[in-house]
Amino acid sequence: MRQGLSLRLTGEQAADTAKVLGARLIELGKNVEQIDADALEHLGNTVAAACACALLARNGVIVIASCEGVEPEGARMDVAIDPNDTPDFAAEKILDQLAERGLVDLESTDYSPEEEEQIRQRLADLGYIE
Amino acid sequence: MGTSHIRRVLVIGLDCATPQFVFGPQDFDLPHLRALMNAGCWGPLRSCHPPITVPAWAAMTSGKDPGALGFYGFRNRKDHSYDALFTANATAVREKRVWDILSRAGKKVAVLGVPQTYPPKPVNGWLVSGFLAPESATDFTYPKALKQELDAALGRYIIDVKDFRTEDKDGLIERIFALMHNRFDAARHLMDGKPWDFFMLVEMGMDRLHHALWRFCDPRHPQFEPGNPYENIFRDFYQAVDERIGDLVSRVGDDTAVLVVSDHGAKPMVGGICVNQWLMQEGLLALHNAPDKQTRIEDCRIDWAKTKAWSTGGYYARIFINVQGREPEGVVRPEDYEAFRDDLVRRIEAMPDHEGRPLGSKAHKPRDLYRKVNGVAPDLIVYFGDLNWRSVGSVGYNSIYTFENDTGPDDANHDHHGIFIMDNRSGQKGVQLEGLNLMDVAPTILGLLGVETPPDMQGRPIT
Repeated sequence: MRQGLSLRLTGEQAADTAKVLGARLIELGKNVEQIDADALEHLGNTVAAACACALLARNGVIVIASCEGVEPEGARMDVAIDPNDTPDFAAEKILDQLAERGLVDLESTDYSPEEEEQIRQRLADLGYIE
Repeated sequence: MGTSHIRRVLVIGLDCATPQFVFGPQDFDLPHLRALMNAGCWGPLRSCHPPITVPAWAAMTSGKDPGALGFYGFRNRKDHSYDALFTANATAVREKRVWDILSRAGKKVAVLGVPQTYPPKPVNGWLVSGFLAPESATDFTYPKALKQELDAALGRYIIDVKDFRTEDKDGLIERIFALMHNRFDAARHLMDGKPWDFFMLVEMGMDRLHHALWRFCDPRHPQFEPGNPYENIFRDFYQAVDERIGDLVSRVGDDTAVLVVSDHGAKPMVGGICVNQWLMQEGLLALHNAPDKQTRIEDCRIDWAKTKAWSTGGYYARIFINVQGREPEGVVRPEDYEAFRDDLVRRIEAMPDHEGRPLGSKAHKPRDLYRKVNGVAPDLIVYFGDLNWRSVGSVGYNSIYTFENDTGPDDANHDHHGIFIMDNRSGQKGVQLEGLNLMDVAPTILGLLGVETPPDMQGRPIT
C-alpha cells in the first residue's frame, strides 16, 4: 500500500493553500482528503478529526488538515504557511517537500506531440538542431 | 563602500551579447553600458560546455554545470535507444534556480523570458516563460492571468521572432527589433507595476541578429562585402538595446545592483563539417540506402550492425558510440569502448580544413568537462575549428565540408565567452575582471541579497 500522511497546515492562507494543494495532489494521482472547517463540524470535535486523519493516513491517504486544533498522530508533516506566499506557491513548496520524502513524483506535464513538433521545427529553423 | 545597502538585484540578460562589441576592440559607443562598467566591474564571462542557450542559461541561474543538470543541448537522448529524444524545457531542470531559492527565502521575484522556463512553475512573484513556449500555448505565465495583463499592456507579448530562415533581411530586422522592444516594454511594465527584490529578463534579439546577419557586419566573415546596406546593423541594434537598458536602470535606485550578462558570445561561421558524412567516410557509420540528396540523419535508415558511431548536428557535434549492451544493436564491445573513443578523438582532432590546413577541432569527453554526468550524455562533445565551423548532421553531400547551411542562411557560430557587467553600487569604479565563469552569477546574486548559497553550487560569488 502507498504511504499516507497527515499534512497539518497553519497560517492565514492555510485554507486556500489546502484547496490548491489538494487539486495538485489529485492531478498527481494521489488519494486526498481534506479536513477543513466543514469536515470538522461534521466530525464534531478536533479529537475526532485528528483520529480520522490518522486512520486515513494509515491507509495510504494524504490528509490535508487546514483547521486549527487538529493534532493527528502517526505519519504527519506540519507546515506553517508563509503569509507572503501565494497559495499556488505555498502548495508548490509543500509538493517539493513531499517529493523529497518520496511521497510524490513531480513529473510535470510536457509538450503535446503537436507542440513538441512545433518546438522541434522552431529549434531547427533557429539552427540549434537539424 | 560595501554592498550591505543592496536590497534588490536587476539582471538584464542579453542572449549572445558578444564581448568585442561591448568591451572592444569594436565597441559600439554604448553609453549606458559603459556607465555601468565605469561604476562597477566587468569582464568576459566564460560559458559552459557547450556554449549554447540551452544549457547555458540554466547553468548560469542554477550555478551548476550541464553534467549536474543532466542535459547537454536543446534535444537530448531520453535513454540509450536510438530515437527517444526530449526537448530540455523547464521540466528538465531539476535543480533549483536562483529565483526558486530566493522565492523560498521570502524574496519577491520577477522572471521574464529566461530560456527553459516553460512550462511555468510557481514562484514567489511573476514569471513569463522564455522562447521554448509553443506559439499555441495559452498558459505560459505564472500566475496565468499575467498573460492577459501583458497582452493588454503591450498589445501582444512576442515569444520569439518568426520566419527566421529568410533572405528578406529587412523584414527580419524589423521583427527582431520588435521582439527586443516588446521584451523591454514587458520588463518596464512589470518593474513599475510589481513589487520585486529580484528581477531578471532575457532578451533574445541579439542572438537572432548575429546568426542572421553576421556576414554583413564583420569584415572577418568570408562573405563580407564592404558597403552593404546592413553593415552597421549590429551597431544600431546594440545602441537601441543600450537605450532600453538605460531606461530600465533609470527606474531603479541606489539600493539596486544591476547585472548585465550573456550566456555566450558569437563569431563568424566559416562553414560546416558534415560529421556523419565523415563518419561514413571513416567506415564508422553505415546506411542501408545512401541518399542521393541532402537528408537529415534522423530520416535515414542506419545499418546499426555496421555502425560504431553517429552524430547529431548543430553549432557543435554530439557523437554517440554504438556500445554493445548499452544501445539496442550495439557493436563496440564495452572493453574496447575507451580505446575506440580515444581513437575517435585523435581522428577528429587530426581532421584538416578544406584547404588541408589544421582545423584545430576539439573533442571532449563529458567526464573531463563536468563534475558528474547525469542523464544520457554524448560520448564526445566536439567543437569543429574552435567553433568557427558548425556541425552538419545531414548526409548526402559530396564533401565533408559545406559552405551552405542545411537549415538555411546562418552566418555566426557561438563563442566561449559572453559578457559580465555589474554595478553593485559599491564604488568599484571600472574594475576589469578576468576568469569569470557563468556559474559564478547565481552565487553573486544570492550574496548581494544576503541569501545563503547552497553548498553544491559550483560557482563563486563575484565581488
